Amino acid sequence: MSKPKVASDWLCGCAGCHMSLLDIDERILQVVELVDLRSTPITDLKEPDEDGVTVGILEGGINNTYNEEVAKKMRERCKILVALGDCAVFGGVPAMRNFFGAEAALQRAYVDAESNDSEAKIPTSVELAQMTHVRAVHEVVPVDVFIPGCPPDADVIFYALVELANGRIPEIKNDKLHWH
Amino acid sequence: MINLTIDGKTIDVQEGTTVLEAAEAAGVFIPTLCHHPQLTPYGGCRLCMVEVEGAKTLQPSCTLPVTDGMVINTNTQKVLDARKFVLTLIFSERNHFCMYCQVSNGDCELQNRAYDEGMTHWDLQPNWQPFEVDASHPFMVLDNNRCILCRRCVRACGELVGNYTLGFEERGADSLLVADYNVPFGESSCISCGTCVQICPTGAIIDRQSAYQGRETDVDHHIGVCVECSVGCQRDVLTRDDRLIRIEGEWDAPLNHGLLCDQGRFIPLEEDRSRLLTPLVRKDGSLKAATWDEALQVAADGLAKETNLAALASTRLPAEELVLFKSLFAEGLKAELVTSLEEGSATASLAKLADKLGKPFEASLDLLKDTDAVLSLELDLVAEHQVAGFFVKRQLLDGTKLIVADNKKNLLAEKATTKLPLPAGEETAFLADLLTAIDSGSVDVDLAKAAESLKNAEKPCIVYGSAFASNADEKALAILLELAEKLGAALIGVKGNANSAAAAQLGLEAPFKKNGYKAAFVLLSDEKPSQKLVKSLEDIPFVVALAAYGSQITGNADVVLPVTMWAEQSGTYLNLDGRLQKAVKAVDAPEGVLTAYETLLQLSEKLSFKPDLDWKEKLMERVPTVEIQQA
Repeated sequence: MSKPKVASDWLCGCAGCHMSLLDIDERILQVVELVDLRSTPITDLKEPDEDGVTVGILEGGINNTYNEEVAKKMRERCKILVALGDCAVFGGVPAMRNFFGAEAALQRAYVDAESNDSEAKIPTSVELAQMTHVRAVHEVVPVDVFIPGCPPDADVIFYALVELANGRIPEIKNDKLHWH
Repeated sequence: MINLTIDGKTIDVQEGTTVLEAAEAAGVFIPTLCHHPQLTPYGGCRLCMVEVEGAKTLQPSCTLPVTDGMVINTNTQKVLDARKFVLTLIFSERNHFCMYCQVSNGDCELQNRAYDEGMTHWDLQPNWQPFEVDASHPFMVLDNNRCILCRRCVRACGELVGNYTLGFEERGADSLLVADYNVPFGESSCISCGTCVQICPTGAIIDRQSAYQGRETDVDHHIGVCVECSVGCQRDVLTRDDRLIRIEGEWDAPLNHGLLCDQGRFIPLEEDRSRLLTPLVRKDGSLKAATWDEALQVAADGLAKETNLAALASTRLPAEELVLFKSLFAEGLKAELVTSLEEGSATASLAKLADKLGKPFEASLDLLKDTDAVLSLELDLVAEHQVAGFFVKRQLLDGTKLIVADNKKNLLAEKATTKLPLPAGEETAFLADLLTAIDSGSVDVDLAKAAESLKNAEKPCIVYGSAFASNADEKALAILLELAEKLGAALIGVKGNANSAAAAQLGLEAPFKKNGYKAAFVLLSDEKPSQKLVKSLEDIPFVVALAAYGSQITGNADVVLPVTMWAEQSGTYLNLDGRLQKAVKAVDAPEGVLTAYETLLQLSEKLSFKPDLDWKEKLMERVPTVEIQQA
């Protein structure tokens, strides 16, 4: 039997959940033994295989049209979709802007911030994705496994990966469950 | 007794018990949010829903009274689904994003309940409606975004404290926790008792002092008596890495059941006086740092050579230290005056009455929690001994009559049903008039009304403070006793500082008058000295001060010995109604600072005096005004 394929990507997050994944340290060798690690933001392959992967992992919430595309592509190409970390599960810190709106956030960041000079302006280009409300991944595509945490502990990520590699759905509860 | 079955366990409980209470007695955990053991059941959050056999729908266990033969199930799939749904509704209603909340990870009951149910996420989309954060209060931040509308704070403010500051405006999802008629919290009628911040299950009311300083998982607890006044509330001092973080009321304490006032909760952490860290000795006119040995020697020599010596100690000190202090100065140095900084103002006349009667005549403070008429004599329980004031204020809406007799500014009088004039010094005449009015009415409308209220009361209480205790003469006190006997009223003297009653037991009650004293020993501890004390000490040629903080007293003293403050020492306190309770050390003293106890022992050694250390025996020697309950 061939090893299950795993792909991951990050959306509107801080990359911290992938850093926490790397915090499993030498145990990553065990993971590589168990699974075929395909596209990830920290490997060369950047898109999940067209013929599909077993597990897709998404870090970060969805805050623009590009994130939507990535999430939909991952959903289409994976059997089990994992939302990794508070941003993917709830929207996370970026979702704070939902209380003010994207316009106000852009204005603050690109124009009003003390470090900006007088010519500062909000960038506009047809090539830029359109900003949306920040949403949890499950508000855009169905999610099978939720691993909250900001970031989730390396131990929890390792546990989840081993379970998934062995064809089981990880149970995130008790000491493995935290939202902060 | 009512017999019922909860999750297969049968249990007998009293009629009137709720299903939630019965479950607790049976050892079955039912999650709750709006419920709090100190508050009347409310049934607001619906988290405690249970399945009752024969009932069509799930029932909230917190408000459901038990009935005989009831069969309850608390963990069926239907119940578990309902819990998750209730939590989902709460989470999606406002900003319940844990990653940017100060109470996350241990201190949030909402988060804890979600963890218990194994919720990894919630399915409903959040409602992104922002609410303004009110940070106008000096001690608390009110954040409606974190509010779950359980109304614990509103109920605590009214039911427990009787202050009725917090309330709700608007309805449904727009419901807004407000102070008074939606004024900034800091400008409201709030008295900063902090009960709301302690009872809030989420981060909707945040304690400014301890925010982001440490969570339940990081802190140590030190449970003991509050030393800010003689009420004797039990409190929990929270520390982290030997730093004071926060003070909370002990919910399980029989006297204050979780309540504290601003003096006990917030003010002690606002200390801004400069700390004394080294002994000081006056040389060539100015105070110079000295070693402990040197300073103690100068103090001992100076005190030993003067017979015209005055010794005064703070009533904030533990009984152990007061006994040692008295032993050293009364027996060891035979000082002319050995007294407390209160000079017996709150206790002396009452203690003498107990001496005369040969038995206690005052009653338990618990009686003030369930009374139908209160006569308050020259005492403002809004300004001092506040928790005792809460007991009175919270009963007023239930029809308890409050008669305030005082001629000074009195904030309690604003809430009185009857106000009576009582000029200082006129206590005898006042009480005699009241007694006559009770016997045969009065043409004075207010006096007649007060007399009527007291006469009709089943459980009346008469409370008085230090002003009354110092103004009332023997005759006034005799009429007070007669009045109490006639009415069947409980007498409750609130006394002064935390160990006012212990000082009274030791007879530390003589007034400190100018008397040509040649030397003085002032054990200030962490007490703020009064201007009167500063003045009285000015002319005394040799002054030794034991203090935690710098003040005019230490500035003028000849020897200054740095001692511990309230959080750095343990000891016993005798409260206003005879409870002996321990204060517990919470943090270490700074290097080079000793407790007053250690300092007095070393001073005794320098003077070759062996002090009597049996404090308990000394405390029991005198007839107390109220029976002392051995802990």
